[in-house]
Amino acid sequence: MKTKTKLRKILSVLALAVVAIIFVFPFYWIITGAFKIQEVTILETPQWFPLEPTFENWIKLFKNPTLIWLRNSFIISISTMILVCITASLAGYALAKKNFRGKEIIFGIFVAAMALPKQVILVPLVQIVNQWGFHNTLLACILPAVGFPFGIFLMKQFSETLPRELLEAAKIDGCSEIGIFIKIVLPLVKPGVAALGIFTFITSWNDYFLQLVMLVEKEKLTMPLGVALMQQEFTTNYGVLMAGATLACIPIIIVFVLFQKNFTQGITMGAVKG
Amino acid sequence: MNKPVLKEKILNENTNTDRTVLKEVKSKKSRKKILSLSKKQKEDLIGYAFLVPAVLFFGTFVFYPILKGLYNSFFNMTWKDTTFIGLDNYIALFNDEIFLKSLVNTATIVLVAVPLIIIFSLAVSLLVYKLKSVSRSVFRAVFYLPVVTGSVAVTVVWRWIYDPYSGVLNYILKTLGIIDDNIIWLGDSDYALMCIIIILLTTSVGQPIILYIASLGNIDKSYIEAAKVDGANSWQIFRKVKWPLLMPTTLYIVVISTINSFQIFSLIQLLTSGGPNYSTSTVMYLVYEKAFKLGQFGYAAAMGVVLAICIGTFSIIQFKVFGKEVSY
Amino acid sequence: MKKVFSMLLIIALILSMMVGCSNGEKSSGEASGGEQANVEINFWNFPNYTVIDDQPGKYEEELVAAFEAKNPGIKVNVQMIDFKSGPDKINTAIAAGTAPDVIYDAPGRIIAWGKDGALAKLNDMIDDGVKENVSESILRASRAGDDYYMYPTHHAPFMMAFNKTELEEMGLLNMLNLEGDRSWTVAEFEAFLEAVVAKGKRGPVVFASSQGGDQGTRAFIANLYDSPITNEDLTEYTVNTENGAKSLEWVVNAIDNGLLENGSAVDAGTAIDEFVTGRVIGTLLWSPGLEKLKQESLNFETVFVPYPNSENPKLEFLVGGLCVLDNGDDAKIAASKKFIDFIANDPEWGAKNIESTGSFAVDQRIETTYDSPMMKYNATMSNNYSTYYNTIPGFVEMRTFWFPALQAAINDDKSAKEALDDFVVKSNETIK
Repeated sequence: MKTKTKLRKILSVLALAVVAIIFVFPFYWIITGAFKIQEVTILETPQWFPLEPTFENWIKLFKNPTLIWLRNSFIISISTMILVCITASLAGYALAKKNFRGKEIIFGIFVAAMALPKQVILVPLVQIVNQWGFHNTLLACILPAVGFPFGIFLMKQFSETLPRELLEAAKIDGCSEIGIFIKIVLPLVKPGVAALGIFTFITSWNDYFLQLVMLVEKEKLTMPLGVALMQQEFTTNYGVLMAGATLACIPIIIVFVLFQKNFTQGITMGAVKG
Repeated sequence: MNKPVLKEKILNENTNTDRTVLKEVKSKKSRKKILSLSKKQKEDLIGYAFLVPAVLFFGTFVFYPILKGLYNSFFNMTWKDTTFIGLDNYIALFNDEIFLKSLVNTATIVLVAVPLIIIFSLAVSLLVYKLKSVSRSVFRAVFYLPVVTGSVAVTVVWRWIYDPYSGVLNYILKTLGIIDDNIIWLGDSDYALMCIIIILLTTSVGQPIILYIASLGNIDKSYIEAAKVDGANSWQIFRKVKWPLLMPTTLYIVVISTINSFQIFSLIQLLTSGGPNYSTSTVMYLVYEKAFKLGQFGYAAAMGVVLAICIGTFSIIQFKVFGKEVSY
Repeated sequence: MKKVFSMLLIIALILSMMVGCSNGEKSSGEASGGEQANVEINFWNFPNYTVIDDQPGKYEEELVAAFEAKNPGIKVNVQMIDFKSGPDKINTAIAAGTAPDVIYDAPGRIIAWGKDGALAKLNDMIDDGVKENVSESILRASRAGDDYYMYPTHHAPFMMAFNKTELEEMGLLNMLNLEGDRSWTVAEFEAFLEAVVAKGKRGPVVFASSQGGDQGTRAFIANLYDSPITNEDLTEYTVNTENGAKSLEWVVNAIDNGLLENGSAVDAGTAIDEFVTGRVIGTLLWSPGLEKLKQESLNFETVFVPYPNSENPKLEFLVGGLCVLDNGDDAKIAASKKFIDFIANDPEWGAKNIESTGSFAVDQRIETTYDSPMMKYNATMSNNYSTYYNTIPGFVEMRTFWFPALQAAINDDKSAKEALDDFVVKSNETIK
């Protein structure tokens, strides 16, 4: 019996590993691609490992204000992430656990808003941002992104599983609403907040279109915008493209690693049962 | 208030009211009078207060532009010129064969991709969440990698995989003897859509896997123990214990995957431009093309509205199916 | 985690406020009075000029510095845009009211914006001197009706190109006509391809996966059996004649027989790369500008040839020019016109800019220093320019129908005639 389950386990991990290769491959490809010379990147039989590694792509990349691009991307993504986590966890908690008039309608509007393609609201959005005077600023890429309700939806789902008894008990103990939120709710939904943080950071980083239409000055460009500029009409300098893509991964990976710890803090609800 | 009514209130209202709380309220009746706010109103206010930050951003940067977008859909709107044309955009839409083809393609993508995403992420998560912490983190990171690396890398790699001459897919298939000649994957109207869906899968399962692993980790082990004691096998444990407790997460994943699949865009833009011969054209791609390449903002807005209605309908169904509240 | 969060929050908010506020003022720094009022204009440029030192935008900044030195009181902000998302950026900006003041692009888009009322008219800039020294077809491409919206600067033909070095090695160079205008017939072209393929080399790729470079495939189909894409007065699409169907059929058969490569999933850039890396013998799209762009990667000599045609080859060509956006500010429009004049006509920079594009000057008064046989040949081929139809209404939309039509024919989803008929029906509807 034991060997059967062990065998099953080994097989399933093996299957996972095979599938995992497909997932890891793009990542491997851009890292190695960043060190390949131009001719090699478009070879018919690909070089699995750069036989003549070079730093020329990186040199080309850094001749441009790459650090500024990185900084801008970073500021935008961190700010968006923080603001979204705060607003979404507050709103998600209320939608899950509080009863108030119009709750269903408000939630319905949030969900419906996600359904409409962003493209349709882009022009009105630029008009608003321009009228209020912060077009061509990093703020223009942060604030609109905070408005999108994906985070609220996620936090609502996570907050659903909060045990009511715990919340009521805290209330009876005389805790204020915000106190309950900070001391009880937040620690319990931490995995959700961590996940949301990462998702938001990445989405914001890769939000090419919003950055494209909101930023028009060289010093304001973000990594994705900057790397795109290095493409010409009929030329793709793959080496530089890969170098840019690799560079862009680094902050994302850092954030991912930092936040990952919080996933594992599984909360036992045993304390509340009965 | 007499006791029977109280009991009924508790049974009929949702789990928000609690016997203990009501008791407390009863004893504080006098205080209530001074506050001059009914409990209901106070609770409303608290709820709204929590929503204020989110609603502020949402209202300004999302809701208002949406209204404007809706408004635009009734106009023939180009760069400088705006003329009211009522429902003409919508009527033109349903006579536009490219739009209709795109609608069909989009629906196909959704109907194929979403179930696959759920099944795959669930299967992987069930395997991974029980592993040791290190392996678990590794696998979680691995499946999330395509999202991290971004569409640049993903499209370059997959374009190469599907390359008719130097791509690894043709190479493997020919070596295994499954095909004789190179197939031009992204250039063949029979295969292109499926190829896109496969790429979509790799970029879409990362988030669900992370969420499922987190939620599975949150399931109280005592429930599972209890079920095992009752003699349930792993499939039954899954169906009766895990699956119901995962419902909130599943609902989120189903709705979000549906929305993302309906709105698939950058893959199409970077790989096929909607071809070959419109076989991978999606509504979202058309919206982008009409609005930003051709400057037909009104028409694009109308398309967006139709898409939103489709998504909305799907979502309502999904909420009905997956949104049942679970209590133990 | 709470502490980390709140700290990050404070830092980020401060950072973003700082960045947001200090650069938040709209770049419209106009002095309220005074003679030399400081005017600030925004210039968006596609990669028309060769990139120097791997830094997109560097050449433009040098150009701007030279202009500002001669025109104190005008400040120019340069923003580079790329061909993929640049049009999107511009279209959004115009619609949302955040448009720049000067754009360097081509008639296809410029005239469309002009017709829609987004541009300032340049009639005063197109004086007699210009009219006498610029060909009528190019002037025609710069206006809508009687109003000029584009100040044209450079032009160049699009043709095919082959790997001269390799052809010599294969002993097949003599199958090309290298005399005069180098014209040849479809039969000669077919024989040439067969010889090439027989020696184990692949023919050019018929790219069709996106809009990019479609002027190449349109010119190709239009020339083979003489079926122009539109009629002379640009009121109708005419490529679906019997000859047109014959052309497309010939191409599809050539692909099926291995003479040409199936480019249903290949875009122009990749097709050109196949040529540059020597994997295929030729390319359907080439120009002096492209040759300049690919200089570093080319390790063989190219030979330009026109598309096969039973009579005289009729070439599509590129025209580039500058336009001024009307954002309601007269001072900016005036400053923009000065800037355009500098780019095109400055004694030092006028010619320099043209040479940086690798193309020819439309204005005969501007002397460029090209002396290579390749450039000389290209210059003479401007006598073979066909009717420029990029200013036809709905041009941009027509382009979205062309490549699917090719794909349909190549993939056998439709017959050549059906595909072209379909294309013409859809495209004609855009001429409104």
